[in-house]
Amino acid sequence: MAQEALVQMLTLVARDGAVRAGRGLSGLMGQQISIHVPNVRIGTKADACDAVGGEENLVLGAYLSISGDITGHVMLLFPVARALECVDLMCGQAPGTTVEPDELAQSAVGELGNIVGSAFVNALADDLNLILHPSPPTIIHDMAIALVQSVYAEVLSQGGDVVMMDAVFEDEKGRTAGLLIVAPDPTSVERLMKVAA
Amino acid sequence: MTAPPSEARRVSVGIGQLAISRDPKEVLVAYGLGSCIGISCYDPQSRVSGLAHVLLPSSDGKRVEDREPARFADTGIDLLLRRLAEAGASPRRLIVKVAGGAAVLGPANAEKFKIGERNAEAIRERLKHHGIAPAATDVGGAKGRTLEVHVGTGKTFVRTAASPANEL
Repeated sequence: MAQEALVQMLTLVARDGAVRAGRGLSGLMGQQISIHVPNVRIGTKADACDAVGGEENLVLGAYLSISGDITGHVMLLFPVARALECVDLMCGQAPGTTVEPDELAQSAVGELGNIVGSAFVNALADDLNLILHPSPPTIIHDMAIALVQSVYAEVLSQGGDVVMMDAVFEDEKGRTAGLLIVAPDPTSVERLMKVAA
Repeated sequence: MTAPPSEARRVSVGIGQLAISRDPKEVLVAYGLGSCIGISCYDPQSRVSGLAHVLLPSSDGKRVEDREPARFADTGIDLLLRRLAEAGASPRRLIVKVAGGAAVLGPANAEKFKIGERNAEAIRERLKHHGIAPAATDVGGAKGRTLEVHVGTGKTFVRTAASPANEL
């Protein structure tokens, strides 16, 4: 029952976080970015990478850790081609101008991670009355499952199970703009369960 | 030769899973190993291959769940070797190769849990416990890897997002 209450609470928080993050993304890119209703899932799910093109697909994104009243992990992932389009939109360039994840592109993606990740973390903090600090973003550029799996491992190495909130963003044309993953550490899940109860 | 036969059937070995095969048309693949480690085994005489996809270093005595029998290095390797033996492989003849254990979430994070490094160490220890020294390893670094073993030849290949398949 406690787990059910937790999932319900986190679903509400994830919705708020996704709205805030979508607003941040829309402002940055100058176009409407819509958000699918976020999932809250428990366990290591095989389909976690489907939204960004499958397990072995190459993604570019940002990783942030959360510290404060709870600790955890935030990842924003884009298929590489979509990440580069986002960079062009952010920089006011024609799509296709950026062709590789160079220093400028990586810096822009880090900024995206910062804004979207912080929006989600702030929703968690405001809605649950917690003090939370997102870390500066680290640029990640690898096969999608290698990144997701590494977050699973860090959470599971502390005992407990993976509780993951994920939200898929879409642009005006209905194409996937990115995938946001938020996973609290197990000790933090216990704390969140108390809040939910 | 890096490409498997054209009629090859790729069998994905997901997180915490293991697979044993004697079908020469099969290629066992562990996609996108980040801090995870893949352990490939091949017995050239019985032509049995195995691949395990380990997530964490130690079970710490915890019960291993059926849905992820190879989640932990210690119990996962024990089970992999048992299943290989049941399929007719001899531990003395096994050619064992190990790949993965990277820190893909950036240098700041790498120092926190060191899962990849701990996985590599735990696997080395457990194999040693069984009297096995890996014939080849490709562990550590900052890039994810895909590991595959071609059951027909026992050849093992590793590729990263940035590099094509290289024989291990």
